[in-house]
Amino acid sequence: MLEVTLIYGFVNSIILALIALGFSLTFGISGVSNFAYGAMYVLAGYTVWIFINKLSIPFVPAAILAVLLTAALGAVLYRFVLLRVRGLVISEVIATFGVGLAILEMFRYLGYTGFEYTLPVFTDGSVMIGDTYIDHQRLWIVGVGIALAAGLYVFTHHTRLGLAFRGIAQDERTALSLGINSDRIAGISVAFGSGLAAVAAILILPRGTISVNEGYDVLINAMAVCIIGGLGSTVGVVVASFLIGYAQMLTDVLSGPHWKMIVSLVAILIILVVKPSGLFGKQKELEERI
Amino acid sequence: MKRLLIVVAACIISLTWTIIPAMAADPILVGVPSSLTAIEGKEALKAVEMAVEEINAKGGVKVGDVKRPIKIESIDIRDSSPGVPVQEALLGIEKIITEKKVSAILVGPFRSEALLPAMDLFAQYKVPMLGTIAMSPKSEEKVKQDPEKYKYCFRVCLNAKYLVGYLAQTLGFLNEEFGLKKFYAMHQDVEWARLTAGGTTKVATDKFKCESVGTEVYPTGASDFSAGLVKAKTQGAQIILPIFDMPQSGILLKQWQSMKIPALVSGFISPMTGPGAWKTFDGKIGGLLNCNYELGSGIASDKYPPSMKFYNDYKKKFGVPVESGHGPGPSYDSVYILAEAIERAGSLDPDKVVAEIKKTDRQGAIGRIKFDEGGQVIYGDDPTKTATGCVFQWTDDGKQKIVFPASLAEGKVKLPDWIKAGKK
Repeated sequence: MLEVTLIYGFVNSIILALIALGFSLTFGISGVSNFAYGAMYVLAGYTVWIFINKLSIPFVPAAILAVLLTAALGAVLYRFVLLRVRGLVISEVIATFGVGLAILEMFRYLGYTGFEYTLPVFTDGSVMIGDTYIDHQRLWIVGVGIALAAGLYVFTHHTRLGLAFRGIAQDERTALSLGINSDRIAGISVAFGSGLAAVAAILILPRGTISVNEGYDVLINAMAVCIIGGLGSTVGVVVASFLIGYAQMLTDVLSGPHWKMIVSLVAILIILVVKPSGLFGKQKELEERI
Repeated sequence: MKRLLIVVAACIISLTWTIIPAMAADPILVGVPSSLTAIEGKEALKAVEMAVEEINAKGGVKVGDVKRPIKIESIDIRDSSPGVPVQEALLGIEKIITEKKVSAILVGPFRSEALLPAMDLFAQYKVPMLGTIAMSPKSEEKVKQDPEKYKYCFRVCLNAKYLVGYLAQTLGFLNEEFGLKKFYAMHQDVEWARLTAGGTTKVATDKFKCESVGTEVYPTGASDFSAGLVKAKTQGAQIILPIFDMPQSGILLKQWQSMKIPALVSGFISPMTGPGAWKTFDGKIGGLLNCNYELGSGIASDKYPPSMKFYNDYKKKFGVPVESGHGPGPSYDSVYILAEAIERAGSLDPDKVVAEIKKTDRQGAIGRIKFDEGGQVIYGDDPTKTATGCVFQWTDDGKQKIVFPASLAEGKVKLPDWIKAGKK
C-alpha cells in the first residue's frame, strides 16, 4: 500500500503541477488571475474530441490545433476584455470568471455531458514498478510534466521573450522604460497560460472523461496550488503540488475519496492563516494588508 | 372519371373530417422536467417524443368524445449535476406545473434527493407523475404512509430495492459457480447508490454467503478510482461491485484493466450499458457483468419482442441505438400508460386519471406493467408477467450477452482469462 501511495501520489502531484503551471505563469507575469482557466482546460479537451470524432482529424494535429486555438482564445480574451480592466482586480476576476462560466455552460447547453467524451491515451498498456502497475498515460504525464516545468524554466531564463516576461513580472514600470511593451507581453502571457491549460488537458483527460464540472475543479486546484506555493512562483507551484498531491493521496487512502476533495480548500485556509503570501510568494503587500 | 373524382373527394373530406377535430382540439400538455443533458434524461425525453408522435399519428388521446393530441413541455432541472441545489430543481418543476399548466409529469426528477420533496408539489398541485429515473424506495414508502396525499406519484422504472435483488443474486451466482465470494463495493455518494450498495451487501452476505471486504464511496464527478482499486486488491477482493450513474464512472474499467486488479467487475456502471460503450472504451470492457435496469433501455431481447420493437423503432427514428440502460424504455411506456388512463377516465381530472393509472395492466417495452400499492411498477424475472431488467456480460468480441434472468439468458457467465476462480 505504501508503494502504491508513493507512486500514485507522485503522479497526482505532477498532475496538479501541470494544472497550475499556466495559471501561475499568467498571474506571475501579467498579474491577471485568469478565472477562465478551468474553462480553457475543458474547452481544449472538447476541441480535441470534436476534431477527432466530428472532423476526423488525427490525434496529433488535433491536439496541436487545440493548443493553438486555446492560446489564441487567451490572446483574444486579453485584447478584448482584460485590456480594458487590467489593474482593477475585482473587475478582472469578474470578467474572466464570467467568460469561463459562459464557455463551460455553453458546452452543457449544447449537450456535451455524456460519457462518450473521452480522449485517446498516447500509448496503451501498463508497466510494473515494484509490485505496482502503472499505465503508460500516467508515465507520459510524469515525463511531459517534468519536461514542461524544466522547459518553462529555460524559457524564462534564457530566451529574449522569457526575459521580457520576467522583466514585466519584476517591475513593470522599469521594464516599460527599457522599451518592453507590457500590454503585449501580458497578452502573450495570458495566451501562453491558456495554451498550457490545453497541454495539461490533452495529457490528463485521457485518464478520465471530459466534463463541464471538471472546469470548476481544475480552477480550484490551480488556485490552491498557486496560493500555497505563492502566486507567481514556479518553484512554489512545484513544491505546493507535491504537498497537496501527497496530502490528497494519503487522505484518499486513509479516509476515502470524499475527504480528498476538501484537501485543497483546507490547505488554502491554513496557508492564509499562517503565511498569506504563500510558501514562496513575493506578494508582500498581501501579508502586510492582512 | 367523374365518379372517381367524387369518390376521391369524398375520401378526402371524410379523412379531413376525422383528423381535423383531433388536431384542432386543445392539446393535452405533458411536462418532462428532468436532467435533460444527462444521457438517461436526454434519451428518456426522446423516448417520450417517440411515443407521443405515435399516439398523435393515430389521432391523439380520446378524452370523452374528443380526440386530443399530446404536446410535450420540457425543462432541464439539472438535478443530476453535482452542486446543483435541490431547490433549483424544485423551482423548475413548479414552473412547468404552474406556468405551462401541464396535465401530467413524465420522466420526472433524476435524483431521489429531488423527487422526495417534489412529491409534495405533485400532491399540492394534483398533478399525476410517472417517474422513470429516480430510484430510492423511500418514495414508495412515502406513498404508502399517506396514500391519499401522494396518490399522484408512480414509478415506472426499476427501483433500488429490485436492483439490489439483481445484483445480490449475481454475486450469489458467482460464489456458487466460481467460488468468488469476497467482494468490494465502490459506489457513488447519492441516495439510490447508497441504498443499493448497503442493501446488496446485506443480502449478499446474509442470503448468499458472500463476504464484504470493504466499501469505498465516491462523490459525484470523481474520476480517479486508483486508490480504491488498490484497496480492493489489498483486501483480497475477488469481485468489485461498482454502483455508479455518473459519466466519469466508465473510466473505472480502464483503470481496473491498466492496474491489473485480479477481481471480476460485476455491478452497475451506467456508461457501460449501451452498445456504444465498446467503442468509447476502446474495447476494454470484455468480461464486465453489468445490470440493465429495464428491457428496451440499453439492451433488448428477442425473447421478449415488445422490448426489441421499441429498441429497433428508436434506432430507426433517431439513427442511433439507445445507450442508456435506465430511463428510455419506461419513459416510452409511461406515455401509453397515461394515454390509456386518460381514455379510461374520459377526463383529465387528476383524481380520475390516477385512479385509472393504478389499474394499469399492459405489456410494455419493459415487460408487463402493474403497480403495487406504493405506485411502484412490479419487477420480476419474466417479462410476460412483470417488468424485467437483466444482467449481461460484455463478451471479448464486443457483444452484450444476457446471462440473467433465466427467461432471457443467452449464455453463461465466462470469467476473463486473467481472473482465477476461487476455491469452493
